Amino acid sequence: MFHPGGVHGARHIAQSLHHVKNAIRGTCSSKLLMQQKAAAAVAVESKKGTVTPPPTGPAPTAPAAPNSVEVYIDDKMVMVEPGTTVLQAAALAGVEIPRFCYHDRLSIAGNCRMCLVEVEKSVKPVASCAMPVMKGMRVKTNSPMTRKAREGVMEFLLMNHPLDCPICDQGGECDLQDQSMMFGSDRSRFTDIKFDGKRAVEDKNIGPLIKTIMNRCIHCTRCIRFGSEVAGVDDLGTTGRGNEMQVGTYVEKLFASELSGNVIDLCPVGALTSKPYAFTYRPWELRKHESVDVMDGLGSAILVNSRGGEIIRILPRVHEGINEEWISDKTRFVYDGLKRQRLTQPMLKNSQGLLEPVDWEDALSGIAARINRVPGQEMAALVGGLCDVEALTALKDLMNRLGCETLCTEESFPMNAAGTDLRSNYLLNTKITGVEEADLVLLIGTNIRFEAPVLNARIRKAYLHNNLRIASIGERVDLRYETDFLGDSVHVLAQLADGDHKYSEILSKAKKPMIIVGSSSLQHGDGTAVLANAIVLADSLRSKMSSNGDESDWKVLNVLHRHANQVGALDLGYKAGPSAIKQMQPKVLFMMGADDGVVQRRDLAGDAFVIYQGHHGDKGAEMADAVLPGAAYTEKYATYVNTEGRAQRGNVAVTPPGMAREDWKILRALSEFVRGSSVLPYDSLDEVRKRLAEIAPHLTRYGQVEDANYFRQSKDLVWNAARPGHSGQTLPAQQRELEDFYMTNTISRASRTMAKCVTAARHQKSTRYGL
Amino acid sequence: MSLIQKTLNLFRAIKQNGGILSSLKTLYVTDDLKWGTHVGTDKYGNKYYENNYYFLSRNRWVIYNPDFHLDYDGSQIPPEWHMWMHYTTDKPPTVKPPVNYKWMVPHQENKSGSSEMYYPYSTTRTKIESWQPAHLRTADTEEQNPKLFNIPQNNRIGVQ
Amino acid sequence: MLPSIVRAATRYVSPSTVSRGIASSTPVLSSHLFVHRDTDYNNPDVPFEFSPDNMKRIEAILAQFPDGHKRAGVIPILDLAQRQHGWLPISAMHKVAEVLDMPRMRVYEVATFYTMFNRQPTGKYHVQVCTTTPCMLCGAEAVRERLKEKLGIDKGQTTKDGMFTLSEVECLGACVNAPMIQVNDDFYEDLSLKDVDDIIDNLRAGKRPTPGPRNGRTCSEPIAGLTSLTEEPKGPGFGLQAGL
Repeated sequence: MFHPGGVHGARHIAQSLHHVKNAIRGTCSSKLLMQQKAAAAVAVESKKGTVTPPPTGPAPTAPAAPNSVEVYIDDKMVMVEPGTTVLQAAALAGVEIPRFCYHDRLSIAGNCRMCLVEVEKSVKPVASCAMPVMKGMRVKTNSPMTRKAREGVMEFLLMNHPLDCPICDQGGECDLQDQSMMFGSDRSRFTDIKFDGKRAVEDKNIGPLIKTIMNRCIHCTRCIRFGSEVAGVDDLGTTGRGNEMQVGTYVEKLFASELSGNVIDLCPVGALTSKPYAFTYRPWELRKHESVDVMDGLGSAILVNSRGGEIIRILPRVHEGINEEWISDKTRFVYDGLKRQRLTQPMLKNSQGLLEPVDWEDALSGIAARINRVPGQEMAALVGGLCDVEALTALKDLMNRLGCETLCTEESFPMNAAGTDLRSNYLLNTKITGVEEADLVLLIGTNIRFEAPVLNARIRKAYLHNNLRIASIGERVDLRYETDFLGDSVHVLAQLADGDHKYSEILSKAKKPMIIVGSSSLQHGDGTAVLANAIVLADSLRSKMSSNGDESDWKVLNVLHRHANQVGALDLGYKAGPSAIKQMQPKVLFMMGADDGVVQRRDLAGDAFVIYQGHHGDKGAEMADAVLPGAAYTEKYATYVNTEGRAQRGNVAVTPPGMAREDWKILRALSEFVRGSSVLPYDSLDEVRKRLAEIAPHLTRYGQVEDANYFRQSKDLVWNAARPGHSGQTLPAQQRELEDFYMTNTISRASRTMAKCVTAARHQKSTRYGL
Repeated sequence: MSLIQKTLNLFRAIKQNGGILSSLKTLYVTDDLKWGTHVGTDKYGNKYYENNYYFLSRNRWVIYNPDFHLDYDGSQIPPEWHMWMHYTTDKPPTVKPPVNYKWMVPHQENKSGSSEMYYPYSTTRTKIESWQPAHLRTADTEEQNPKLFNIPQNNRIGVQ
Repeated sequence: MLPSIVRAATRYVSPSTVSRGIASSTPVLSSHLFVHRDTDYNNPDVPFEFSPDNMKRIEAILAQFPDGHKRAGVIPILDLAQRQHGWLPISAMHKVAEVLDMPRMRVYEVATFYTMFNRQPTGKYHVQVCTTTPCMLCGAEAVRERLKEKLGIDKGQTTKDGMFTLSEVECLGACVNAPMIQVNDDFYEDLSLKDVDDIIDNLRAGKRPTPGPRNGRTCSEPIAGLTSLTEEPKGPGFGLQAGL
């Protein structure tokens, strides 16, 4: 139950637990993280002079750490670090103990009692999730006492749990269902149904995403802990006491978090289920496709569930390097946007200047006829943030063959000094996991909570467990943790770069500082100054670190992109920003997925021919003379490069609708029609990727982060170019409040669910309880 | 039954059908040649006959309005005559006229196979809603725009 | 012989008509809702501000807790709010959350967990009858019935003039002085039905009846004088081995 110490208390408890968890996670998480941790450990230890091998693999085979203790799980010995819980030790021994309230990434509650096990010399069974190991402890996970305890707990849980599995959406992926089969009794003594029946609890309305059926709640409090620890939104809690305790919001209120959907996954029963997915399919009826998310620059690992050529839902996959196991609500619920406003057939303007559906052949020959009339120097291409690397390669190859060199992205990037020539300038160099090692994060011009919700959750985690200090420059926004607000304009940053700000001292004392520049601030008039000053500041912090004897290759500078594949486009040599297009006033403009409306008709030559290729009808298609229907991210084999520079592959979950085709194939087909020797030299995906490996080999090393360097050179270039002046205006946050978060790209703008979320967030703001 | 009787029936039938030529025409159209009492005529011009000389189920028959020629169909018999034809009652509507309630819709023959045939349609949304260029968008909201559904334009519920 | 016949006869005359199942008793559920519903008298717009005196008290309370543990003061401060307002409207909870700089939900949790926080309007005098076993054995049910009759309300209700709220509560820890009632902060113990009338009449008249036992005891000592420890206390060294 409630401790008056509340979350602050949790913060301290969690700190000590975090230490435990790290020890455990090192053994059970991805290899990648292990390597990083190992590298970090070695880096730290080498300074101290002693080297402790990092924890690897199950303990019996691994070299035992000097202070580890032996524990016997069912007579099998494991060596674990002191402070490990019995449940975690059992996991190392390969024994899974049933649990409801315990979750790896949440604090320990110990209130479901399902994890009771017998410990020798203990009179009562102990809750293994909360019990730290002791030297020589002998745990029996399958003894009659343990089994009886589990059966008893299960019987009590089921006493107040409705038997509505046939109409419950959790059916098939329900922990209670599974564990009652595994560990429960085969009969119940509950006969009171005629007198009092089971407990009845009112359902709560906590927004358009989460459906609540509170009768099913078993009070594990995972959702509450998620809200207060991970999301930082204390909207959920327990009210009442005893048999009448209920989980809810007490007042009617939206669960106002951008990560709220994760409680659906966390809920071990069907109390919190997905509203858009309600009553559609059973989990075993769905086909699962591993894929990559494109809603933000992080490229979260997702599992797309489809059936009958339709996407039914999107779930997170575990990726320790990116999203752990959380995904944002936009990632999870945007899929209905893939079914609306779709481009399903090629279109061409007719003699009256109206778009008309045509065949592929007519469309391609019509486009080629216009292209062939225009020399390459008068053509340009503009790409949006959702385009995959394969399509970008094909487009670049095609346009280059036609003699066009003006290929731009919609998103701008300051081009003075090194600009995008040095990869280190535009990457999240310390990687997402770097947040866990950092001790100070400086956020510049970004509302990271909405631009990269999962990264923000990680920062919050470090804030809670590692005492991470966070400072921010730019418009003041609510990030759900305390920040040192330094100022709202680039002026402060310039002062910091020159070292004459009162915060400079704190910054220079930081052992592992991170500077995160939001790409939205680079779109601003002062963007050039933001980047230049950030580069200078980062370099001075790096030199301080090395003068302090820190030899770790800690990269201070980070750029957080908002778009899924902006890094991919820049890696392939696209120019950042549409300014080149606006200058040249092209006669033919090829827009691929460019829907932000940064280039208008008035920026083009009077009779310019605009081709739009993409998957949604939005600003791009509205201004186009020819429309080519492409495939969305769930409909093609595609590579995306996230803001860290990590190339990841998405897979096909469903086929593109109607006459739509994979994007690189459209361009390949178009190349057959256009003039001269423009036919692209690849006929299959493998050949495209072979070509990709020729021009940018790191884009085919999937899952790897390609490091970038040359920070010093970049800074020298900035000095040589003389640091740009600035207007000193507020760096605006593009996504200021929750309602701004939901609709940011062409897919989410088409989504009804997202529209409902916007309405709900606005409504909540207007109520007496506020957001 | 004697041969005489059969010959007599043949002549009666030919006589009732108005001579040899028109009897051949009836035989061509209906594949049958019978004689019997003319019980009545419905509002579409179909004539109903009865002759208990023929055994049950062949003793009542209809000669469709000649305008139908070969395009006659069982569903062209209106319900009141349908009852008599199917032995639900022995009193034809000429003897016991049908009651006309105001909720009764006019009889309509089965239109299957014709251009006016009924198409079943789904009222569920299409899986994918396509984007339409501005000039093709017929209504502001999807709910008002039947193009987003599979409903054929000429065949909606309640449209005759 | 005779007694056994009588006993047998009584058994036949008054047979046990109630056959009571082991698990058929109905659990008594609280009459309170554990969700909030906005009403015209209880909504976030109802103004609530701590009085200057209470602000000083809050400072004193918070001074007891170390830095970063301010929210440990949520119970005393909620109590303060309830004393000031008479009961605990949602706006008071919001004010407490604001004062302690903690999420509102965490305040709701505390306010709903403790039954002594009244989240519905309560009369000037909150009359709480203890009906737990010792009091019940000593006639608490009669006390309750008399109160109902006297106040004209059922348990859980408030009189129309807003003077009295009657509730039935579990043990208040005065079992040795059973039966007892609590009116606001005062215990009235060792009650007879007449005492109940007196107390209510006095309260109605605006007087505060003297709290404490009503049968002549000053505390929880035996009513008929001491039955043990009657002699003079022994001096030090009593009962010790002579050798020591």
